[in-house]
Amino acid sequence: MELRLLLFLIFTPVSIFSQVKFVKDTIQLKGDSVVVTATRSERKLSNVTVPVTIISAKSIQQIGALRLTDILKEQPGLTMTSGFGAGVQLTRLAMNQQFKYNLTQNTNILIGMRFTNEQIKNELSVTNGGLTINSNGAEKNTDYNVSSSLNHRFSNSLKTSFRSYITRYNATQNLLTVSGAPYTDLLDHLFNRLENQTDWVVNKKLTAIVGGGAVMEGVKSSRYDSEKIRKTNTNQYAFSQWEWMPNSKLILIGGIRFDHNQTYASAWSPKASMLYKINKQNRIRLSIGQGFKAPDFRQLYLNFTNAAAGSYSVFGTAQAQKVIGQLNSLGQIGTLYNNFYQLKALQPEYATGTHLTWEFEPNAKNNFSFQLFRNDIRNLIEVQQVGAYITGAQIYSYLNIGRAFTTGFEIEAKHQISKEFSISTAYQYLQTGDKDQIAQIKNGTVYTRDANGLSRKLNVSEYVGLPNNSTHKAQLKFNYSNQNGLFGNIRALYRSKWAVNNTNGNEVFDDGDSFAKGYIALHLSIGKDYINGLGFQFGCDNMLNYIDALNLPNLPGRTFFATIKLQKSQKHKS
Amino acid sequence: MRQKLKPFSLLLILSSILFSCTKNETTVVLPVTAITVSNLPADTVLGVNAITGMPFSAGKYTFYSLERNAIVPNTDSASTQWDLAFAGSKILTNGGTSGKGLGGAFIYTGLFNDVKTISNDSVFKTDNAPGSFAVTFGSGKGWYVYDQLTSLITPLAGRVLVIRTASGKYAKVEIINYYKGGVTLPTTASESDKLSKQRYYTFRYAYQPNGSKTF
Repeated sequence: MELRLLLFLIFTPVSIFSQVKFVKDTIQLKGDSVVVTATRSERKLSNVTVPVTIISAKSIQQIGALRLTDILKEQPGLTMTSGFGAGVQLTRLAMNQQFKYNLTQNTNILIGMRFTNEQIKNELSVTNGGLTINSNGAEKNTDYNVSSSLNHRFSNSLKTSFRSYITRYNATQNLLTVSGAPYTDLLDHLFNRLENQTDWVVNKKLTAIVGGGAVMEGVKSSRYDSEKIRKTNTNQYAFSQWEWMPNSKLILIGGIRFDHNQTYASAWSPKASMLYKINKQNRIRLSIGQGFKAPDFRQLYLNFTNAAAGSYSVFGTAQAQKVIGQLNSLGQIGTLYNNFYQLKALQPEYATGTHLTWEFEPNAKNNFSFQLFRNDIRNLIEVQQVGAYITGAQIYSYLNIGRAFTTGFEIEAKHQISKEFSISTAYQYLQTGDKDQIAQIKNGTVYTRDANGLSRKLNVSEYVGLPNNSTHKAQLKFNYSNQNGLFGNIRALYRSKWAVNNTNGNEVFDDGDSFAKGYIALHLSIGKDYINGLGFQFGCDNMLNYIDALNLPNLPGRTFFATIKLQKSQKHKS
Repeated sequence: MRQKLKPFSLLLILSSILFSCTKNETTVVLPVTAITVSNLPADTVLGVNAITGMPFSAGKYTFYSLERNAIVPNTDSASTQWDLAFAGSKILTNGGTSGKGLGGAFIYTGLFNDVKTISNDSVFKTDNAPGSFAVTFGSGKGWYVYDQLTSLITPLAGRVLVIRTASGKYAKVEIINYYKGGVTLPTTASESDKLSKQRYYTFRYAYQPNGSKTF
């Protein structure tokens, strides 16, 4: 049992100048949310052709979420696996400033700035098998970002916008180990983007978006060959999207994006989507699209030799051939495998997804949705051994080899019991698999062991697919919220077993491997917000105290929390 | 030296031709039965170095005769008494740089019972230390995989070590387990158990005493 008490002081000074006039959007707000992400233009959620989930700031606050994972893991269809980078904070002390100037009636400039600074002091000691390891030192994280945009409206049917976004994140870790040897880890990430987007209303039924931009990114890290040299990457892109509304019931969208990149192969991302309103109660959405995930800096630039574990090396593809070639000419390479000669500029990982959703809303108090989905992923980037040193130590790099799929369905339902009470539930069925592995199993070249430990052929029915994926996920939430600012909720989240380790002597995940047990996490939160900005909240996460330290390091035992919040908004009027 | 060797090797070749001739005509191939060897220690871990944190062992191989189904004393390591030698996850054959015998091996992917006859185009590798061994050394390359997260060694299913013994006869071996008692430890086992209970081989083998390549 753990007790955590938090005190938050959030100041969000917003300066609004008198000459600011709100530019009216072409859409009418009638309690329906407006989203931009899905279509690059402001649209009512009920008019968006692709499935979109909106998590309101209120619901984030009401469950007492502190980190991005806290809120994402409560979304049906999303599974958070534990690992690096799962701790994006939702609230922290930040300086935040926004300005808006109207140059003319049709032209304005928006500038936003944000700066955060975080210092963490470490005094840790870990004892394992009689050995104690100390870690003393400090971590420092700074993060600033500046966004600006210049918007101009030529006419009611044509507007354009130039946007820039500049951000830099710097994290340094300086620790002293028990032997007195310093351990430093540095990451410095710079990201600049400049883009233009032009929106054109061709006629009442047809609108178009055309745009393009460039991204310049740079990373310095102590895990690359030199932490002094910034590894850079530039990406230029262009996109276009056409939206056609032949009648009041049908919306069709077609779009394409092209990405040209300095360090990996260019990529096309086409998509098509449709919304059909059968009647007031029923809607069908269908979307088919291809997206890509770019190789990351690690896969391109890592230059890492692990002296503590057999001196194996991992080289990113941007340098692997050169570095290994140099080692070879120095006579340090023992063997090079065939796949060393296949090393080339990494392709992005491509995913083609098809989503079909039926939404049924018999009345304002009830809604129901059913979604079928299928995603095919190809060019999966996997780490592979490409050779060995004379000493026998392995040399790894990255290749595009894998092919996988995920498919299943999702059901969601929500019922408003009264003005204050609501209940919602969701269920997801998921099947995943590696296509190459399935082919190998069908060929009879994958083996497993029987009860006596003797080898036998594996059957396709024993195959469980990709690790860390549960076949069943479900959730049930009760929510209370009244006009006086009092709120409360209780959420039960269920996840069925998932494969974690390959333990039966083949390299695929099957019934004979080791699984993490399915579990239910039960969370409770109660609070009250006052008009003057003061708020209190307390609750208990993981009330059933379910613990699986090995497989769920992000799920601490039963945790009580209390939050006091003071939110100050200053509005200058000159 | 050379002068002396020549007639001897000629004799060897001649005799093997002679043997194979007689064998083809007269020998009826008897089906060989599989023998299971359990808990064969292979340079087991003695402790952990307090300063480096690294486990240590005596550094000695366990020599095994497939023909006699018995451990061969270390004093006979420089003989043709043994066919396989085990230390940690390393397995040596009695030939090449490892021994005086005719030993060699290759790894067959498939099931133990499916190895009925060793085809004549099969290539037996011999040990060539330190870089190359007949029973390939290393995770995923020979008979086992090592999981860095759980630090457990699991014998790969569907791998058969096809062995040429010190005396030039043939055997097939399937490694079943690497832990004491013949059961791989659970991933949650303590680090000290993972160290002290590893390096105990359970394997089954079939040895063909008549020198033929058929089991």
